[in-house]
Amino acid sequence: MITKIFLKELKDTLRDRRTLMMMIVIPVLIFPIILNITVGISSSFEKDAATKNIKIGFVGDAQSSVIQEFMNMPKNIGKFDLIPYANKSTLEKDVKLDSIQMGVIVPNDYLENERKMSAVTVQVVYNVTDLGIKDRAEKYMEVVEKNAMTKRYKSLSLDETKLQPIVTEYKNLASKKEMIGKLAGGFLPYIFIAFGFIGCMYPAIDLFTGEKERGTIETLLTTPVSRIQILVGKMMVVVLSGLLAATSALVGLYIAIKVMNFEGNEQIMSIVQSILTPSFILMLFFLLFPLTVFFAGVMIPIAVYAKSFKEAQSIITPLNIVMVLPAMVGLFPGIELNTITACIPVVNVVLATKELIAGTLDTGLLLLSFSIMVALAAVAVFVSYKHFDKETNVVL
Amino acid sequence: MIKVENLYKEFQLGKAQQKELDTKAKKAVAVDHISFQCQPGRIFSLLGPNGAGKTTTMRMLSTIFKPTSGSIEIAGVDAIAHPQEARKKIGFLTGSTGLYARLTPNELVKYFADLYKVSDTDFKQRKDRLFNLLDMNEFQNKRIGKLSTGMKQKVSICRTMIHDPEVIVFDEPTSGLDVITAENIISLIRDCKNEGKTVIFSSHIMSEVDLLCDDMAIVHKGKLLFNGTMDEFRNNQQEKTLTGEFIRIINEANTATA
Repeated sequence: MITKIFLKELKDTLRDRRTLMMMIVIPVLIFPIILNITVGISSSFEKDAATKNIKIGFVGDAQSSVIQEFMNMPKNIGKFDLIPYANKSTLEKDVKLDSIQMGVIVPNDYLENERKMSAVTVQVVYNVTDLGIKDRAEKYMEVVEKNAMTKRYKSLSLDETKLQPIVTEYKNLASKKEMIGKLAGGFLPYIFIAFGFIGCMYPAIDLFTGEKERGTIETLLTTPVSRIQILVGKMMVVVLSGLLAATSALVGLYIAIKVMNFEGNEQIMSIVQSILTPSFILMLFFLLFPLTVFFAGVMIPIAVYAKSFKEAQSIITPLNIVMVLPAMVGLFPGIELNTITACIPVVNVVLATKELIAGTLDTGLLLLSFSIMVALAAVAVFVSYKHFDKETNVVL
Repeated sequence: MIKVENLYKEFQLGKAQQKELDTKAKKAVAVDHISFQCQPGRIFSLLGPNGAGKTTTMRMLSTIFKPTSGSIEIAGVDAIAHPQEARKKIGFLTGSTGLYARLTPNELVKYFADLYKVSDTDFKQRKDRLFNLLDMNEFQNKRIGKLSTGMKQKVSICRTMIHDPEVIVFDEPTSGLDVITAENIISLIRDCKNEGKTVIFSSHIMSEVDLLCDDMAIVHKGKLLFNGTMDEFRNNQQEKTLTGEFIRIINEANTATA
């Protein structure tokens, strides 16, 4: 009988355009759209910032090595026009007005200090809102400083290589998979939790509050099917919808990475493909299934209690934030899965998934996290049943 | 047969309900120790003004609500001790059509037949009979949400009767329907009586009650004001019309409790 109820509710749910949008269409499309827009905008800005011809003003002697270096600057760093300024204040004013994008202030005593081989401070001014300009300024000054240093070594007859006694080589022994797992692995369960919750929300409201509002629950309760069978049949649809929405979001993310053309996406794709093994997917669902049952178990008593679709929505929507907040913990670096965090619902799922992606998951902690979520899901189902069994809750 | 004895139902009132009903009482009595019997092959009418306790009584008969005290027997089954067994024998047509808008009449009727464990052969036979009788074949594969009120009510009746129940409760079955559809439904209710089924019929249309019913009970403020045959009611009638007599009884009860 549970199967009959489940199949009917599933058919009913899949015919609801609003639920279908929240369950499949939006989760699948959201990441390709967001990534397309962000990658498009940022690459166009980067390209623009790196290639556009800018104006650089300078104050000081045009014969100084700094200005000479600017005049002979390699063109691949970015083209510019060099404009002389009589004083610092006019130059700074023009930078602020964006008439020029950068200013180089060479002190009056530059040549004298250069002769004395003392250190000279050269000021570079730019408008802080334009971050691309800062990058270019640093690149220009790197060339200027390096050439000045080489010149000075030469005049002192020093071997440049002998002045660097220690060369440090940094080598990260963690695999790319581990690094992604620890750094960005929290993102995956975060998506799952956020979309799993939204996916559960509409069917939960529609199958409980909606039925009450439309009067259909009353007819269902007059059939020789027990309330627990009705509840389980409906709950299965709510859980499936949550899992479907979350899976759709992950599929959307996968498509977005695969299809999008951005720097390093081939490398990311090969790592993602190495992560997405059948055993990983199975383990992920093993963790996320009780979490989705828990979500359904939290929403159903509210949906049963609410007298209208609007009322149910106004209570459940803020709950989304409460549920997603612990999921954000997984995005913070340094928080690891241990006996304490494995006992905190939602947080444990996020951290366990992170470890799962990194391939460093401890079986004991996985079982502890799973047991906690199953226990919580069982409590949620029991609370749902108690609410659904209360006669004044099920009919208006 | 339906046998109701000393049926009593009270509801706990929450703060919101106390405010809504403008009372400080923690409980509200919806049905106050009522007893009646409905015999097979007869139509029993349950009448009363809005808020009288009719719907609560019918919800108790269909086991949606559990009585606070008293007993209900549906076709020989103790409905309080064995609600699931009792539900197999009863068909309940609610005041609202209560249908799934995204299903077709065909799918909906099949779903309910499955819930009542009706065999495929019986389902086909009964569905064909009811669909023909109620002239439903033309719209059987259209989504219910797109049907007219009359069509929806026909689907609702079909759902109520697909498991061939011994007892049928019709709560305002002709409400909001056109004359032709209402007449079809009245004729169907009469057929149920002729087939020996026990029928409870609730309506605000006194002419329908007069035309259809054999027995009648009037409920007001949860109490039974009249319980007897239609002939007994007519014989003791002080007003010219049934409606007039009904209003007189209600007013008399109101004066007595004032």
